[in-house]
Amino acid sequence: MMLGVLLRIEWLKAVKRRSFWVAVGAFAVFIAIPAVERIRNVHKNPNLSYALPESWPDILGAAAGLGPFFVGVLMILLVAPEFTWRTARQNVIDGLSKERFYVGKVMLLAGLISFFIAIAMLVGVGGTLFSPSEGGPGILRPTDLSYLGSLALSLLLVGSAGLMLSVLIRSSGLALGALFLYLIVEEAVGRLISQAGGGLRRSAEYLPSNILDQLGNDLAHYPEVLADVNSRRMERGLEPREFLDVEVLAIAALVYSALFLGLAFLSMCKRDL
Amino acid sequence: MHAIQTSNLTKRYGTSGAKSVLAVDRISFAVEEGQVFGFLGPNGSGKTTTIGMLVGTIKPTSGSFNLFGASDPKGLMVARARLGATLETPNFYPYMSGRDNLCVAAAVKGVGRPRIDECLELVGLSDRAKHRFKTYSLGMKQRLALAATMLNDPELIILDEPANGLDPQGIREIREVIRVLANRGKTIFLSSHLLTEVERTCSHVSIIRQGRIVACGAVAEVVGEGGAMLLRAEDPEALAGAIRAYPETTSVRRTDEGIVAALNADDVASVTRYLAGQGIYLTYLAPYRLSLEEVFIDLTQGAVDSMAEIASG
Repeated sequence: MMLGVLLRIEWLKAVKRRSFWVAVGAFAVFIAIPAVERIRNVHKNPNLSYALPESWPDILGAAAGLGPFFVGVLMILLVAPEFTWRTARQNVIDGLSKERFYVGKVMLLAGLISFFIAIAMLVGVGGTLFSPSEGGPGILRPTDLSYLGSLALSLLLVGSAGLMLSVLIRSSGLALGALFLYLIVEEAVGRLISQAGGGLRRSAEYLPSNILDQLGNDLAHYPEVLADVNSRRMERGLEPREFLDVEVLAIAALVYSALFLGLAFLSMCKRDL
Repeated sequence: MHAIQTSNLTKRYGTSGAKSVLAVDRISFAVEEGQVFGFLGPNGSGKTTTIGMLVGTIKPTSGSFNLFGASDPKGLMVARARLGATLETPNFYPYMSGRDNLCVAAAVKGVGRPRIDECLELVGLSDRAKHRFKTYSLGMKQRLALAATMLNDPELIILDEPANGLDPQGIREIREVIRVLANRGKTIFLSSHLLTEVERTCSHVSIIRQGRIVACGAVAEVVGEGGAMLLRAEDPEALAGAIRAYPETTSVRRTDEGIVAALNADDVASVTRYLAGQGIYLTYLAPYRLSLEEVFIDLTQGAVDSMAEIASG
């Protein structure tokens, strides 16, 4: 069966779901609020600017804030009920193999990532049309592309975690609980490890939510902004902020995503429906 | 050609130990193409697990099966495209309309949209097609499941309790649909508790109890297997007691007509000689045709007794 058909089946299931549109709408509002605020400020103060490509960090930063969690939660809301409603079983009876059912869910994840990035870009880029500011040359700089790629990886990381929890736990309520519990536990563990210092402290940076934080932080992608922020921090006697290389962050995000997707695949194939 | 053939098919849930459950125990049966095959058994006897293995949602622990002669994973995928099935309750997306649910099933089966309207019409759901599935009555849900099953015009139709929740009229409609499909040459594998319906509809049956097949064959054979006799004597109590003690007796039941004894062998001379030896002289003896329901109760008595014990505390 062609991937396009699997995507069409998943899309049909998703767009009929009210929670899908509630999440999409909430996400659009969430990223539109800072854009509207910026535009209002620009109208009040001509020294400020909201234009491309300079404003990409703001546009992508807003999407990177809660976007991954919207995708993770949506994946759980769209996948886990397939087991409680037993529609996963019926899909397999109707002719999808378990493997194809799983591939369909991966296609859904890819679709959600594309859709959320498209919304972020539409809202952000559309917002610049209402701004009197004029941008610099070009629309996208290499650093903007890097940040855009990192946003996609952030969405993939949490979305694949949502898919894994859905397939392992098979209940949307419990899977959501597990996702949030994990984030709380990881934060606590990360804090404990950070206090230990040395090599152990460095290892805490590779925990999934730290990878997520760094991927979504514009400072990790714009060295000139980071240098500026750090010089001001040093003036105030604060330690400079440090980030892992974007390549390292990308590899770590891909490794975690592959692990989550692999576990979901194994569970899907091994367990009865 | 066999539409379905199983050989020592077994399913054990959980790893071996006290908590593991042997749901299906080395069952072997065959369903020929064009047969209407009834698959009977009490709740928890392993019917749905067996069907689950056939349709690919449950992995067998051991044994094998083939569909239309195919037993390898690739061949089974192709063979499964020739079947339509529903398991237990109808499983659909509650937030979607009946038509949208069929659109999903049609996309999975690679069927065009015109067929959706045909199937909705066939099960009488055209008027409610745009309503959400969660607003449907159980009978409507069952009919939608039947429509989904028939989308790809399957050669083999597997129905697990299709009459569940239906009123007498609904049951009659389902029976009619099954009869129409059977007349079109479809192979039908029907799991049901409605034994009268199965007896009327099916040509062959298999009865499963505690995961094992206890009877299998043409309905007439299964019903007539071993034979049963209707007996009368001056003292019915003594007759019932004596025939119950007869070694070839499998069950004894009192009816308005007399004592009905199901026997492993229908050797009339031996029975009369045995009863005469017990001082009981028959006033009436005739062959008795058990109904499928009576055979079912006889063969699954253990399960029924267990339920009675549980009920009585």
